Amino acid sequence: MIGSPDIVSSSALARRAERVSSFVDDQESRALVTVGVMVVSLLAALVGFLLVSPLTTLPFAVFIVSAGYGWLRFQGLTARMLTLAMTASTILILLLIVLFILVESIPVLVYESTTVLGVSVPGLRMFIQANWDAVSPPIRYSMVPMIHGTVMVTGIATAVAAPLGVAAALFLSEIAPSTVREVVKPGVEILAGIPSIVYGFIGFTILSPWAADQFRTTGQGSYLFVGIIVGLMALPTVVSVAEDALSSVPESMKSGSLAMGTTDWQTMTSITIPAAFSGVSAAVLLGVGRAIGETMAATVMLRGVPQLTKPLYNAFYGQATLTSLIANNYGEADGLQMDALFAAGVILFFTVLAISVGSQYIEWQMRRKLGGEG
Amino acid sequence: MAGAAETRLVNRDSSEANAAAAGAVGLAALLFALSLAALFEVVTISDPIAGIPVVALLGGVLVLLGGAVVSFGVGSYLGVVETRPSASAGLVAAAAFAAVWLAIGGGVAAEVLNVGGVGSAAAAVAVGGVAFVTAAVLREDVGSTLPAGGVSILTGVAYLTGALGPAWVWELNFEQQASLTAEFVIPVSTLACALLTGWAAAKAYGGFGARGRRMGAYLLIYLNAGSIVGVLFLLLAFTAFKGLPGLFTGAALGPGVGPAVFGISLPVSLPFVTNGVALLNEFQGVLPAIAGTIWLVVGAVLFAVPLGVGAAIFLTEYAERGRFTQIVEVATNGLWSTPSIVFGLFGFAFLVPRFGGNKSLISGMLTLGFMLLPLVLITSREAMLAVPDEYRDASAALGVSKWQTIRSVVVPAALPGVVTGVILGVGRIAGETAPILLTMTGGTFVPGGQTADVIGGFQFTSTPPFVANPELLQATTALPFQLYALITAGVGLGDTVSSPEQFQWATAFVLLLIVLSFYAIGIGARYYFRRKLQYE
Repeated sequence: MIGSPDIVSSSALARRAERVSSFVDDQESRALVTVGVMVVSLLAALVGFLLVSPLTTLPFAVFIVSAGYGWLRFQGLTARMLTLAMTASTILILLLIVLFILVESIPVLVYESTTVLGVSVPGLRMFIQANWDAVSPPIRYSMVPMIHGTVMVTGIATAVAAPLGVAAALFLSEIAPSTVREVVKPGVEILAGIPSIVYGFIGFTILSPWAADQFRTTGQGSYLFVGIIVGLMALPTVVSVAEDALSSVPESMKSGSLAMGTTDWQTMTSITIPAAFSGVSAAVLLGVGRAIGETMAATVMLRGVPQLTKPLYNAFYGQATLTSLIANNYGEADGLQMDALFAAGVILFFTVLAISVGSQYIEWQMRRKLGGEG
Repeated sequence: MAGAAETRLVNRDSSEANAAAAGAVGLAALLFALSLAALFEVVTISDPIAGIPVVALLGGVLVLLGGAVVSFGVGSYLGVVETRPSASAGLVAAAAFAAVWLAIGGGVAAEVLNVGGVGSAAAAVAVGGVAFVTAAVLREDVGSTLPAGGVSILTGVAYLTGALGPAWVWELNFEQQASLTAEFVIPVSTLACALLTGWAAAKAYGGFGARGRRMGAYLLIYLNAGSIVGVLFLLLAFTAFKGLPGLFTGAALGPGVGPAVFGISLPVSLPFVTNGVALLNEFQGVLPAIAGTIWLVVGAVLFAVPLGVGAAIFLTEYAERGRFTQIVEVATNGLWSTPSIVFGLFGFAFLVPRFGGNKSLISGMLTLGFMLLPLVLITSREAMLAVPDEYRDASAALGVSKWQTIRSVVVPAALPGVVTGVILGVGRIAGETAPILLTMTGGTFVPGGQTADVIGGFQFTSTPPFVANPELLQATTALPFQLYALITAGVGLGDTVSSPEQFQWATAFVLLLIVLSFYAIGIGARYYFRRKLQYE
């Protein structure tokens, strides 16, 4: 049995190659030449763009001309190739993001390396000490204060967005009469549409002074209120994804329960929510991802000093998050400090990507379990 | 599904007890509103209303409410009122009560009895445990009313005796000093009590049991949905209220007062949106930022929409479901959830060096295009998947080629969904600040003369790359960035504009207006198309 998956996959590969070659055989030779020119010129333009060459426009112009010719003569094939290239571009963009932010953060990772048991681990010192100082020696770029800030803000935001969002999703998908739903659903969407800088502005001018006065803190900016605002911004994501999950529970399951003489609330708690549980938790996860990446409200409302709050659980003070660090310092940063900002971006990107992939996996499993179509 | 279980047969609400329970719910709602008003300082807790101090008034109402709730529970337990309670209030309610009483026990022990950290922790666990057992073990009517009513009575007594008065302060001995003041604690604890007693009274109104639980849960869920809409309305109304004066500064209405468009003077003059910032201007405005936002959106749409729609066509029509489509799906969702500031960093590292090394309009356009792409792809794909297969089969049966089918059947049928998705996506990116922060933006105030004019800026050159457009390669501004710059500029604003605060709010309002009009159009289009499709 050993090695059988390899055999299967290699035979699948062979079948695919066969299909491609038979597809190629079916086409006119002139069409193939045109498509070949398109592919080569597009790749050349891409390489030129990556190498910052001023000659990039030449292959790109060739691509445009060949695509135009192909569109007029062999529209079906050209359209197929063009749409394939467009599909590949989404993967390409993600790969480019990974590549560029990683490459930019390498110098600071090397600078912040520490030896553990005789092995030099790059970037480790960013996580084992809590001092960020970009001006006076020893110059240190610790990510610990910002990670603390992001965890505080995200925790508070999740505590706001998760229960309220799931309750609102339940309301929209199971409880609300259709006229009420027609009002509340666009309302939630519009809540998602309010720009984060407007939330930040209202928070900065109204909420922060009020909070500083209420809690008698020195100066303005607290994780508590940034967390509440960010929670409000993550709410629509939770609502819409959780609503999708709840309404994907087959109506027959709910009707079966109701036929037993239960109230609709009993049906919700014992049938709908357990059946949609994984989808609802994916919604909360996506909300967490939104909260982690939220930038402007945190930038405007926090103090922007990369330090830990004292004591650590003091949410009445707010220093900086990973996102606000980047937005606050990009202006004057250069060299190693700019690379440190990229390192913060790398942490953000991979955390949120992991959350996104995880929630997709959960949703996929739920769809399989409920037997709906993917 | 909604209301499917409601039948008149099980409704027996005619007794006085039910009326009293309904009254208690109403009283809790009143208290809820009052404490919200106190929290936002509409009502000050130190001033008396009709000679009675507000705190004492709140305390009296709380004691009354708590007493009512407890007497419902006890009355039901003794069989005075006819109800159908379950065996216990359930673990969720028990856990919630335990958390509330844990906080009360710990707080009282630490602040009033001064028993130290270990002592107060022990007291918290003991009190919380009692509440948990009460709710989890006793019959539902007592289990859900005693802990709720108890909190309310205790809080009310604290208010009435002055133990928790307007001057009350709890200094949290943190290294960075913070204190809990009465102005915060009194409204918030009143709010919590109103919620708890309201929930318990709603349960009593439903006669406990399955119906009672439904009542209690629906009360909270309706309240939640109502508050979300309320917060939205409040935000919009507040921004409009603060922003309108600034927007209409210097506005005039009359024949020929406005700026000339194609040689004809408009009858409306609105300097805030038609002027830039200049030393000699009578009224300052944000025209360059509006133009910048429009160009950004146009550029991002031109980049992302063909790419996203094309990719959606390939994924739904050509590709077979397999490894490749799965990877594309994961990549698209990954792009969708990537934080906006990371797009900014990427644009800074990737695009800026490739477009002249400075921040430029085109870098901003493409960065926002990268953000828009996954949104367009996801919504277009959903719209195309929703096109029934019968359409494709009918077209194929007529002998039409695959691409012809896509072009004349699938895409037109999916167009409403695609358009709606694009509009909503544009609304989202038009308000983004973080990506353009690092890729395209310049100063705080921009003179009207620097309003970007992309169409007029194209030039052809004799050296590679043969096409140049200085307008695209210049840093410009956009509304969200302008607002950010106005916030961070702080004190220096007063030199340039006469009323900085008005200017800020007006900028926020114009931004909100532009973004929300995209949303309004998108949501409206969706309703229109849905209705049209239903009638056909």
